[in-house]
Amino acid sequence: MSAELLVHLSVNGIEHAVAVEPQATLLTTLRHDLGLTGTKRGCGTGDCGACTVLVDGDAVNACLMLAAAADGKRITTVEGLAHGELHPLQQAFIHHGALQCGYCTSGALMSAKALIDANPEPATVEIKEALSGNLCRCGTYPRMIRAVAGWRQFAAVASDARPTDTGERDQRRDHDVVGVGVPRVDAADKVTGRAKYTADLRLPGMIVGRLLGSPIAHGLITRIDVSRARALPGVLAVLTGADVPQGWYGVSPAREDEQILATDRVRYVGDEIAAVAAVDEATAERALALIEVEFEELPAVFDAAAAMAPAAPTIHPEHPRYAGNINTRVDWHFGDVEQGFAEADHVREQHFIGNRPYQTPMEPHATVARWEHHSDRLTLWSSTQTPHYLHRSLSRMLGIPMGNIRVIRPAVGGGFGAKAEATPLDFCAAILARMTGRPVLMEYTREEMFRHFRGRHKQHIDLKIGVKRDGTITAVEQRVVLDGGAYTSFGVITAYYAGSMLPTLYRMPHYRYSGLRVYTNLPASGAFRGHGVPQPRFAFESLLDMIAEDLGLDPIELRLINAMSPNTRTVNALDVSSCEFRETLLRARETSGWSEKKGKLPPGRGIGVGCGGFVSGAGYPIYRSDFPHSNAMIRVHEDGTGATLHIAAAEIGQGSDTVLVQIAAETLGVPYDRVWLADCDTVVSPLDLGSYSSRVTLMAGHAVERAAADVMAQLFAVAAGELSCERAALRARGGRIFVADAPATGIDWAQAARIAFARQGPLLGKGSYQPPKGLGGDFKGGAVGTSPAYSFSTAVAEVSVDLETGYVTVDRVTDFSDAGTVINPVTFHGQVEGSIIMGLGETLLEDTLFDASGRLLNPNLHDYLIPTIGETPDIRTVAVESFEPNGPLGAKEIGEGSLLPVLGAIANAVYDACGVRVTELPITPEKILNGLAHGRPMLRAPRPHAAEVATP
Amino acid sequence: MALVDFAYHRPASLSEACALGQRLQPDAAFLAGGTDLIPDYQRKRETAHHLIALAAIPELHGIAIDGDVLRIGALSTLAEVASSPLVHGWFPLLAEAAHSVGSRQVRSVATIGGNFCRAVPCADTPPAVLVGDGRVRLMGPDGDRTLAADRFFVGARETALRAGEVMVELRLPVQPAHSGASYQRFARRNGSSLAVAAVAVRITLVRGRITGARIALGAVSPTPRLAVDAAALLEGDAPSEVAFARAAAVCAESASPIDDVRGSIAFRRDLVRVLAQRALTEATDRAQRSSP
Repeated sequence: MSAELLVHLSVNGIEHAVAVEPQATLLTTLRHDLGLTGTKRGCGTGDCGACTVLVDGDAVNACLMLAAAADGKRITTVEGLAHGELHPLQQAFIHHGALQCGYCTSGALMSAKALIDANPEPATVEIKEALSGNLCRCGTYPRMIRAVAGWRQFAAVASDARPTDTGERDQRRDHDVVGVGVPRVDAADKVTGRAKYTADLRLPGMIVGRLLGSPIAHGLITRIDVSRARALPGVLAVLTGADVPQGWYGVSPAREDEQILATDRVRYVGDEIAAVAAVDEATAERALALIEVEFEELPAVFDAAAAMAPAAPTIHPEHPRYAGNINTRVDWHFGDVEQGFAEADHVREQHFIGNRPYQTPMEPHATVARWEHHSDRLTLWSSTQTPHYLHRSLSRMLGIPMGNIRVIRPAVGGGFGAKAEATPLDFCAAILARMTGRPVLMEYTREEMFRHFRGRHKQHIDLKIGVKRDGTITAVEQRVVLDGGAYTSFGVITAYYAGSMLPTLYRMPHYRYSGLRVYTNLPASGAFRGHGVPQPRFAFESLLDMIAEDLGLDPIELRLINAMSPNTRTVNALDVSSCEFRETLLRARETSGWSEKKGKLPPGRGIGVGCGGFVSGAGYPIYRSDFPHSNAMIRVHEDGTGATLHIAAAEIGQGSDTVLVQIAAETLGVPYDRVWLADCDTVVSPLDLGSYSSRVTLMAGHAVERAAADVMAQLFAVAAGELSCERAALRARGGRIFVADAPATGIDWAQAARIAFARQGPLLGKGSYQPPKGLGGDFKGGAVGTSPAYSFSTAVAEVSVDLETGYVTVDRVTDFSDAGTVINPVTFHGQVEGSIIMGLGETLLEDTLFDASGRLLNPNLHDYLIPTIGETPDIRTVAVESFEPNGPLGAKEIGEGSLLPVLGAIANAVYDACGVRVTELPITPEKILNGLAHGRPMLRAPRPHAAEVATP
Repeated sequence: MALVDFAYHRPASLSEACALGQRLQPDAAFLAGGTDLIPDYQRKRETAHHLIALAAIPELHGIAIDGDVLRIGALSTLAEVASSPLVHGWFPLLAEAAHSVGSRQVRSVATIGGNFCRAVPCADTPPAVLVGDGRVRLMGPDGDRTLAADRFFVGARETALRAGEVMVELRLPVQPAHSGASYQRFARRNGSSLAVAAVAVRITLVRGRITGARIALGAVSPTPRLAVDAAALLEGDAPSEVAFARAAAVCAESASPIDDVRGSIAFRRDLVRVLAQRALTEATDRAQRSSP
């Protein structure tokens, strides 16, 4: 080790003399030595800006600056922004909803601070320029722009913990808290850097764990020697596959095919084979380098067609059911497609190819495990979106009852599906903590995140649609091959979703779907926002436009002709209740200037429409269980001036905690700021299945509403006695309980609660939610796609295409969504805007790429490009009037469904702009140029279904 | 990711830095802004055990006019270059090129010297300096020397720097009267991204004729380099779309791009042609505005 250096740093006005190693970055010094964890590590390579701090007033990436090079400098971190009162910028971020998961927020605030210090009234273009190095995967860019442009409005305003309505409101309801754009419950914590994410935790004696990944894509481990690693001073434990519980785990009980650490076979570059725990990160990394592994390298396959070829290597020989590398096969036929195509006047078929985008949450996965030997208990903090499934996986693999495990979800910096399952980090941290007796922190690097993956499946889609002359769909046939990567992850469900969701948007009397998920020697694909559906939806929306052109119909007209109606059972037995899809189409057409623009814009400019929708929570849990899916408790504080909501639903940035607190406050009849939220901790809060399938607002919302109603039943009993009236005559609003017909007769809510406490002790309410029984058809896979409610969205995109370079700029997106009752307009619009920006990225920019050996070529944020603030189009989003009978207060989902229209809308707009129909994602400039060069749409000849090729 | 162990040296003078560099070579690296070097350490592409920080050396800082030359100290940050009134007055193209690099956070720290000495093929400032006829002054254990910018780049991530040699400054001559310049780059997204292809052009116009043309290509060869043949085609001609198209086509042919995640060879050649045409047009417009 090189000699330590003494550096003098003035941080947030306080002088520090810190002894640092020469290789310490300013980021590690701030976080580890000074405990200023508001500054985040997102990439470590200067690409994401999460670590932005001010050095002598300039915005700088702390990960790229050596602490030694910062000697003598004046440094400001997010913790230095507020001086008691929040800085006006922080207030502006809260007010405008310019934060979701919060992981990029401190960095963005610091870039904004540097900007306004130099230029107090920045123009939009200057804001985009100044913040272009601050990546936000939640897509809060439009709101950041508003917040930075309008920060001065807050300069004279004392910060106030009480919420103010932002004025954003889409629907009118007779509600006090619901429907109001109150600030997020976690907003103040996130703008001050106070919010603790897993990697921010510091426990006494905590050590660091790291994983070793396979350098090859497929092979057998012939020798593994960890003796040199174990002998390295500072190393406390080393694990290989032989040292961890044997057995297989996985998301789906039907396909448990993963090991904690590989015992004898590795299946992709990065497959985890060993873990170390050491006193610090540098020692852990040195130890990894000392592990000697020898392999017998085996042939590997990197695409679905190769994996299904007769001579292909078998990737999971341990499990004979996966012979031929077929992981999942779906064969559905509803109605009679042959008859349907025979009835059609026009049939069009097209092959589409998807890409393999990665969720790219800004927060790398992290776990802290602490083993309490005296009680044989494990406490595990994890950046997970599914604490319950993690809890269950830990119990099953470690062989200890769930009652001995406590899972805590701290703040989570985005997930989008990437954090919906247990990882080797979670298991190894627990095992290493048990072995060493020390708390263990494990994090993925940005590169390891890309390797662990669980991003979108690359799908090869053959889609065929038959229509009558007037555009009425008579039949649809879809064949999809999904490139699954080395493990199942959520893939069984993905293969079903890819087929199940097409019939929810348009009526189709006859539908056939065949899906084939195939193992390859690439990182496993999993569940990514819109789960399995975005690529089929992209294909469908593209093909609809091609058919509209063939028939001389307006694309929106064609969609209206076939649009789903309320209270309909789809051909695949899904029950649609509320449905304002037609309204979204009509409003989008009316407000986007569609009729004046479609086909009439100058060359290089185009407009396109796309539609989509999603489930509001899966109708069935991932594993068979009779437990309610969501459960909540509310405890009223003794003096009645507050209540605490206990719920383990997973806030990962989407704003669900805020929505749930609003539902609680509304139902209790108290102001929003009276309701506290207990930690998401399995010791504190009852079971909730977590954040996936867009389930939280509907399912957890119901549980919360019922828990609050349970409280109110008890309080009304007390109040009725005090007021000498019938319970049924009472209402509660604004912290007061009163007689509905004689509002002057009433009692203070808190006083009623005090009386209740005095009489019966703690005032508790509980509520549960279980989806209706018997959802879905009685056929294999009929459960996937079932839901109590479905969302519907229409997006209209306007683009400019540079006809010489193929560069696409998305200028404007108008989105109309049916999400039922909007609980919080700020989080609602934030979700739609984020979907538009994420959808823009996956349509135009994103794809993970591999070399001929299966190694990732772009596992970093300068080669894997996600949208920056510079990509932000002019966005208008609107919630149409809608009420979902199966949702709490009429609400349903918005977070995933709103992504689905975006791909098709952009693809169709690109076609309108330049006549190039790109059928393979992403739509790169090069593909557009190739299409332009050929002077015709880039159509590929239909090719035989890969499954047919593979059949010997 | 932790970095390898290295010793950190902070020489206070240029001669001390050169001596250290010579003594510790080849196990030493010079640290300027570090925005390329630190990630290289992280991905183990850089493994030198001695890091020589140049920040404390006064001669490497500052932007000033020195007779008929604008000198830009090697440690000037790209943000300083992009906003310097001296640079804007002398050769605004360099400010534009510096501004196009990375994000604000990177430009706050990354230096013009680093942009040159790291010799990344897609670096943005070298093509501008090449068309501006800039020179690079180096100081080594055996004294100093000055090289034309195009002779400084030897290969991808390779320069003419010898052991112990440090880039002291960039020297830009007075730009010809009636000249205009343009820098055109193509990247996959608007915000903060590396160039897939780039073209810089300087055009000098006298009485409606091109009396001087310099064209430099970036990101499409192992080094940024002058497209001499394409430029020669234009000399003496009146500016025209046809003439520009011919020169742009020669630029595209002369490029030797690679296939990588940012673009294919064919796509990059297409881009060179388009960007060259645009740069020639814009540079000519600018020259016309300053022409009699």
